[in-house]
Amino acid sequence: MEFFDLLSPAAFALAAAGSIIGIIFGAIPGMTATMAVAVCLPLTYSLGLHEGLALLLGLYVGGISGGLVPAVLLNIPGTPSSITTTFDGYPMAQRGEAERALKICIVSSLFGGIFSAIILFFFAPVLANFAIKFSYVEKFLLIFFAMTVIASLSKNVLMGVFSGLLGVFLSLIGTYDVSSGGNGEYRLMFDFMTPYLESGFTLLPVLIGLFGVATIIEQAEKGTRDESYAKRLQLTKGEPFRFSVFKGQLSNLIRSSFIGTFIGLLPGIGGSAASVLAYTQQKNLSKAPEKMGTGVPEGLVASESSNNGLTGGALIPLLSLGIPGDSTTAVLIGAFTLQGLQVGPLFIGENLDTWYSMVAALLFSNVVMFLVMFFAIRHISKVVLIPKFILYPIIVMMCGVGAYAINYGIMFDVWTLFIFGVAGWVLTKVGIEVAPLVIGFILGSSAEVYFVKSLESYGEFTIFFTKSPIALFLWLLIALSIFFSYLIHKKNKARISKEG
Amino acid sequence: MQNWLSSLNSVTIDFTTSQWYFPRIVMALLLVVGLIVVVSRFKLVVRNISQGKWTFFEPNTDFFRLVATLVLLPVYFFMMDFIGGLIPNMGMGFLLSSIPFMFLMSLIYCHTRDRRNLIIITLNAALTPLLVWFLLYNLFSVSLP
Repeated sequence: MEFFDLLSPAAFALAAAGSIIGIIFGAIPGMTATMAVAVCLPLTYSLGLHEGLALLLGLYVGGISGGLVPAVLLNIPGTPSSITTTFDGYPMAQRGEAERALKICIVSSLFGGIFSAIILFFFAPVLANFAIKFSYVEKFLLIFFAMTVIASLSKNVLMGVFSGLLGVFLSLIGTYDVSSGGNGEYRLMFDFMTPYLESGFTLLPVLIGLFGVATIIEQAEKGTRDESYAKRLQLTKGEPFRFSVFKGQLSNLIRSSFIGTFIGLLPGIGGSAASVLAYTQQKNLSKAPEKMGTGVPEGLVASESSNNGLTGGALIPLLSLGIPGDSTTAVLIGAFTLQGLQVGPLFIGENLDTWYSMVAALLFSNVVMFLVMFFAIRHISKVVLIPKFILYPIIVMMCGVGAYAINYGIMFDVWTLFIFGVAGWVLTKVGIEVAPLVIGFILGSSAEVYFVKSLESYGEFTIFFTKSPIALFLWLLIALSIFFSYLIHKKNKARISKEG
Repeated sequence: MQNWLSSLNSVTIDFTTSQWYFPRIVMALLLVVGLIVVVSRFKLVVRNISQGKWTFFEPNTDFFRLVATLVLLPVYFFMMDFIGGLIPNMGMGFLLSSIPFMFLMSLIYCHTRDRRNLIIITLNAALTPLLVWFLLYNLFSVSLP
């Protein structure tokens, strides 16, 4: 197939290796797909673009999928997106049907992953083509829309808005970049900081700090105990797995994969939102909703197909608009910058080879993930037993290497890693949310350029409303996202007061 | 009236001070939202703190491991740079600081320091940095301190 010819044998091997390493990360509670991508970034520094991306996409797919293992076996979601897998997976494991549950999850994951890759392949170029017409005004509104979506879906809307603004503020530290039309003047820092922060904080050390080092500090605070998982880790044979279990589940598979892909498309929303929504929908439509949560396959199908649906979905806004769909794709944006590529509406058209190779790598990673997990699940499940005292030092070391090498040997980047590691740990304690902060940090400097240039060109504030029908449409989306957020929070409040 | 409205709508940005235009808006918004957060949640936060519902540290914080991590990390990064300065361009800063760091961190994080675990810790501390150094520095030519 010509499509796959774009990937070299090395890229195939790296995508496969990425999937396997990703599965291991995903399967260890506390480690996430984002961390897998962040920690393995230094490996891509000297690889070619296609090879590097193949590895990272493999890690992404593997990382999201691996989370199902501890969810089923230990009742602990390996990644946040596997939360609903525990609802039916663990009861099945307790009945001695662990292997069956795992295999249902694996097949559903494959379906969700492939489904979303196909949607990505057809939808991203269309969206990119549409976005090519965007001027600075629409681009600013698009970022504004992304920020409202993230903030409105935060646990606490006000804190979500504050976190997003804080991220934007952090991104503005440094000079007002001449290459984007700025005047090259310093702002928001003291004189002694100028040698280090001329171009602001480097993206990747910030991300690796927030997602890698902060997690380690958090785990150290909890005492890095290795729970006695071994006793619970039994794949006893109950009812064996048969593909016939999927009979009648096609609509569930398609609907849940679609929900996952759609939620992935919205910027900054974590996987847990996707799987919870898909699970709830299945419960609403199920013939026997009372059985869900007691260990039935349909719950697993909904949860796992939706969280793997995220992978392709989250790549859509990244590749067509330059806006990351979740925290893992936020790290991927760093990998692109590293290779000298700018993602945005022009990306697909100007880098067709890279685009096809990415889709091929994504599809291939899903297949590898399936084969490895389906046939070696007994071995994979032992991964949760790797002691933390071995794993954590390795992660810190890799984070350090990644930060140092990103700009070919800048020690300040390592200190950035440490600063943001500690900051990530402290900020979450006082209610700051990391996802809006990160998205604000990534999009902040672009938002500045688009906003200021729009005003410089048109000289009036109303241009943001009157520029084009697209601008009005984006305002409509912004209003809708605020309205839905209001509805969701009202519903949640009512539920809490009913329960309380 | 119309003139007044259109003057309110029109905007000119002085290029020489344009570096402050957007940051000032963001800072003002941060201040406003920050104040709303403080005002709207002040009572709740004070009540939660006074009733002990919210504490900065986890209820069963392992202060030994937490403090050790917060000390060991900057020391590791500092030593990386320091040794790298003494023996430049060989990745020795990374290698020679990572081995003791990995050993100490594993030792601190380990709860049962029996013979078997000590052997695993020692082997991991010696071999993993060596492997990473060999792969990244020698094979992939990645910059290391």
